[in-house]
Amino acid sequence: MKIGVISSMVPHIDGGYRMFVNQLVPELERAGHVVEVVWLPFSSDPKTMLSEMLGFRMMNLDDIFDLVICCRPPAHVVKHRRKVVWFIHHERVFYDLWDSEHNTIPKSAYWKGFRAQLMRADTKCLREAHAVFSNSQVVADRLMAFNAIAAEVLYPPLAGDVQFDSNAHGAELAFVCRIEEHKRQHLAVKAMSFTKSPVRLRIAGRSQNPNYLESLQSFVELNRLRDRITLDHRWISEGEKRHLLANALGVVYIPVDDDSYGYPTLEGACAERPIVTVSDAGGVGEFVEDGISGLITAPTPEALGEAFDRLWDDRMLAAKLGEGALRRINELSIRWDHVVARLTA
Amino acid sequence: MAPFVWGGAEELAVHFVRNLRIMGHEAELLRLPFQWDPFDNIPAEIARFKTMRLPNVDRVISMKFPAYLLPIENQTTWLIHQYRQAYDLWSSPYSNLPHDWRGELVRDVIRSHDDHYFVNQRKLFTISSEVSRRLKEFNGVDAPALRAPINDPHLFIGGDSYDYIIAPGRINASKRQYLLVEAMQYLPSTARLIVAGPPETEADAMRLRNSVAEFNLEDRVILDMRFLDREELAEYVNHAVAVAYLPYHEDSYGYVTMEAFQASKPVITTCDAGELLELVTDEHTGLVAEPDPQSLAACIAQLFYDRKQAAEMGAAGHALWRSKNITWEANISTLLGLD
Repeated sequence: MKIGVISSMVPHIDGGYRMFVNQLVPELERAGHVVEVVWLPFSSDPKTMLSEMLGFRMMNLDDIFDLVICCRPPAHVVKHRRKVVWFIHHERVFYDLWDSEHNTIPKSAYWKGFRAQLMRADTKCLREAHAVFSNSQVVADRLMAFNAIAAEVLYPPLAGDVQFDSNAHGAELAFVCRIEEHKRQHLAVKAMSFTKSPVRLRIAGRSQNPNYLESLQSFVELNRLRDRITLDHRWISEGEKRHLLANALGVVYIPVDDDSYGYPTLEGACAERPIVTVSDAGGVGEFVEDGISGLITAPTPEALGEAFDRLWDDRMLAAKLGEGALRRINELSIRWDHVVARLTA
Repeated sequence: MAPFVWGGAEELAVHFVRNLRIMGHEAELLRLPFQWDPFDNIPAEIARFKTMRLPNVDRVISMKFPAYLLPIENQTTWLIHQYRQAYDLWSSPYSNLPHDWRGELVRDVIRSHDDHYFVNQRKLFTISSEVSRRLKEFNGVDAPALRAPINDPHLFIGGDSYDYIIAPGRINASKRQYLLVEAMQYLPSTARLIVAGPPETEADAMRLRNSVAEFNLEDRVILDMRFLDREELAEYVNHAVAVAYLPYHEDSYGYVTMEAFQASKPVITTCDAGELLELVTDEHTGLVAEPDPQSLAACIAQLFYDRKQAAEMGAAGHALWRSKNITWEANISTLLGLD
């Protein structure tokens, strides 16, 4: 089949969707398809958003492709007789974040009308689709709530070789992702001041936010945690990350209400590490089951610190939860052959 | 771009981005599909491009119609070509625009959008003097030509000449490798020719094979007809006595010519080869033959049996080529306004 993978993009900004698309292409090709990616720039600026979407819709893709797979929105608005959508998020300020403090759009008649129009457009374009998938249950629930669209959850697998090394469970927890406020490294750092065991924490990742990084550093200094917390604020290579995970006690991933379980969770699971998360981390809870594939605590430093201690005190538990995490990948069919089969079914 | 189509323009863009990154810029290639079929949808396609926004970039360099019509500040255009069917190909058999009022309307829409854009665009360059000439003729704008540089000059380091003339590159009727094979029948049995490159069609390959058989040239002509990797190709060029390249009325110097001079090899060509004659001057940087086998045979013999002269011409070609300063560094400085 001639397949077009359509996705919006923002130049110079990486995101999970790019990894997904760049890995999806060779997987589709391996299955015998001919694939071309169409990246369409998209500003997400409400002032021009609707006309940009109209432009997406004006493309005539019917003559070129037998099937189009639409990834990052608003790719789902393109027209094609056989359109499959892998939906990863709404324009959230106009959806679930409309009534939250994250929304800076005035609730005037104009913007209310705009919101209704955007929702109508999304719903109409999603209804045209041959099939709609989502990258998580959270997003599927929103599709149902706001657009009355039933979406099948199709979890994004890791790119590359998923055979991770896995050694004995060490003394250090690994928290590997971008260092940003909404990833809540501060919560993990504070939790360390409540631990009773000598458990260690390693935070690794790049930060775009120097103030946040500084606040983490000063907390570590003030609370004399320097010998138990390593703050490694740089992008670490794939090989280094895998080495780190292979020997870690467990993986910490505690974002604020994330849409998906996140690659850190999946990477930890591949390395048979238990995943420590919190109850309000969003999609992470779809993957982690408390006491089976990891630990889920209340989002407080005290509770999180207790979970850190539990793993340090009981390596048998860490090993058992690590096995559970690996098993969970299979349970949820997080595999490329499954993704390819469903998208091209 | 058109999905599933990959050619010279795409290669150029990829190398461009690679070299921007080498020079320390964050660069990303965006290939936006444009559909010219059906022709009467072209105005809608132009409108579609105008709906697009390009966030988070300091500078945009556009290369093709209608990418330069995106409403973007701080845009530089390095033009590969316009929509030629509305210009120089309008009256050729290659135009998809019909010669009736509808075709004329679409042609005029394209031209007026171009006119409007080009006249206000100061940062405008083209990839060849032919494209610049057309831009002047049809849109009345002056734009300097910044030629596409070679992409791996480090491979073409030259070297001792072994006993052969090389004809590298894509094999087809307009590149006329067959003339070289036919020329070999007039040369002594010590002369050797290697034709190296992918044949465009089976007929192109057949024609060369038949010629070799017809003139009993099996031990003097090597037909290495396949896609060669860059190292293999450079190895052939680096150890040739001379490089032969006979395109018909080509609008560029051609990578073959530029790579030959980079490797300090003289070039044998014909008087109807087009723009590369700016670089290949007879008895100075190479030899210019008539487009017939006998005349070519004389040129091959001259260089093949006077290696000293061949080396001198190669050195002159190298010096001339280097003096043009056609490199990615120079082009990128100009395109970004850094020079």
